[in-house]
Amino acid sequence: MVFKDKTKLSVWERISDINWLRKLAIVVTLAALWQIYAIWLNNALMFPTFTATVNALISAFGNGELLERVLNSLKMLLIAYAIGAVLAITLTILSISTRIGNDILEVLTATLNPLAPVALLPLALLWFGLGAPSIVFVLVHAVLWALTLNIHNGFAGVSQTLRMVGRNYGLKGLRFVFLILIPAALPSILTGLKVSWAFGWRTLIAAELVFGVSSNSGGIGWFIFEKKNQLDIDFVFAGLLTVIIIGILVENVLFKTLEKRTVLKWGMKQ
Amino acid sequence: MNKVSDFLTVRNLTLQYKTGAYRVTAVNEVSFSCDSGERLILLGPSGCGKSTILKAIGGFILPHSGEIMLNGKQLTKPAPDRAVVFQEFDQLLPWKTALGNVIFAIRNTRAISRKAAEEEAAAHLQRVGLGALGHRYPHELSGGQKQRVAIARCLALRAEVILMDEPFASLDALTRQQMQEKLLGLWSEARFTLVFVTHSIDEALILGSRIVTLSPHPGRVIEEIKVRHCDDLARRHPEYAALKGRIESILFKDQLEYVI
Repeated sequence: MVFKDKTKLSVWERISDINWLRKLAIVVTLAALWQIYAIWLNNALMFPTFTATVNALISAFGNGELLERVLNSLKMLLIAYAIGAVLAITLTILSISTRIGNDILEVLTATLNPLAPVALLPLALLWFGLGAPSIVFVLVHAVLWALTLNIHNGFAGVSQTLRMVGRNYGLKGLRFVFLILIPAALPSILTGLKVSWAFGWRTLIAAELVFGVSSNSGGIGWFIFEKKNQLDIDFVFAGLLTVIIIGILVENVLFKTLEKRTVLKWGMKQ
Repeated sequence: MNKVSDFLTVRNLTLQYKTGAYRVTAVNEVSFSCDSGERLILLGPSGCGKSTILKAIGGFILPHSGEIMLNGKQLTKPAPDRAVVFQEFDQLLPWKTALGNVIFAIRNTRAISRKAAEEEAAAHLQRVGLGALGHRYPHELSGGQKQRVAIARCLALRAEVILMDEPFASLDALTRQQMQEKLLGLWSEARFTLVFVTHSIDEALILGSRIVTLSPHPGRVIEEIKVRHCDDLARRHPEYAALKGRIESILFKDQLEYVI
């Protein structure tokens, strides 16, 4: 008789091993609980049902209103993100060449990183007035320090051996930074991009809630605020749901894919 | 015993480093020279500064005093004319494949078309026996394979001198022996100049054509020893045991308890 060193798992075992399926089950359960509670409460002004929220979501996207708001928000964040990234890279490069530059950067990130971006709103209003520049200013602050901190830590963590390999090839200055330091620090840089995106996204919604009024067509935070004033509470929920969905898409789909194609593929991160 | 040579010369080299509130002399007044095509071994226990000397030749550490000359020119900074193989496996760029690592070395050190660099890199990987694994990323290679890629990369640099800092020390004994044979094979093909750091007397006798023995704290040259044989049968050479005994007596002269 042949010894069987492999036995097939049962269908149920195989199904329960699928990660996304288990998580989907949790989401479905939460939605069901939401629906049951809302029906039992029977007060659409306080807590609309899940189905009402989904309907509001579909109609708000259907007439293009919500999509426009989302794009406005994303545009604002992308502008700030790009400015923040360029500033962070520049600051880090300027700092690594000298010890004092290094010290300055460490002090700057340590002092400014804990400063909640929204706390700068009053100042931003004073300096830039109502409108997009104020929001971008606050967002750049939200993005910049987390990113700088991570790029800086990433550079500091590049092994002496890799540095010597780069110098052995005669690489110096910016070529050394772009060909050796940045790719070698990519796990940290990606973490920085992820953290600062999450930080920026949360700050953006909060800032828009406070003064999204300014721009002629506000973002998604303003959408939520406006719908609450009009007592369209199902649309408020639809707005919140959109914030969550975009967050998940960027953090779990976009960044995950980016990691899979780079640092995970190269074995630089487990 | 100190023969004057104008290829690679280390003269009265003193190297220091800072630690805490102290300045420590790691290497004190070390002199030796190396002919073109020689396989020079720096041998000694930990703390004798052999790796530090190698890094100074590589240009990564500036001498406190003394000088290092290559072809009559004083060395002050790293350059691809002295290719380095390190002990650490992480010396390969993890974001590039084995082939990509060799191509990167070629393309960043001389002007060459992408295609020509690719062909040359593939040929070098072939020489170290990794022709079929060029598409793999470093984390998909074993320790021995990584060191082979590092050696291929050094050969590709067309350096005047290849500096090796205990490149086989982290390998298992079997792989180490294979790598030593491979290295000798490559040397007999290309006859490059090799400066090789090790703390193993056996490795020194197998690989070296000349051995510089160093004592620790601070690093100083004790004696230079010429090794006549050169083949992978070194271990069976009648002179082997005698030479090994002599080196042991040199290295252990003052420190009976020193474990190498």
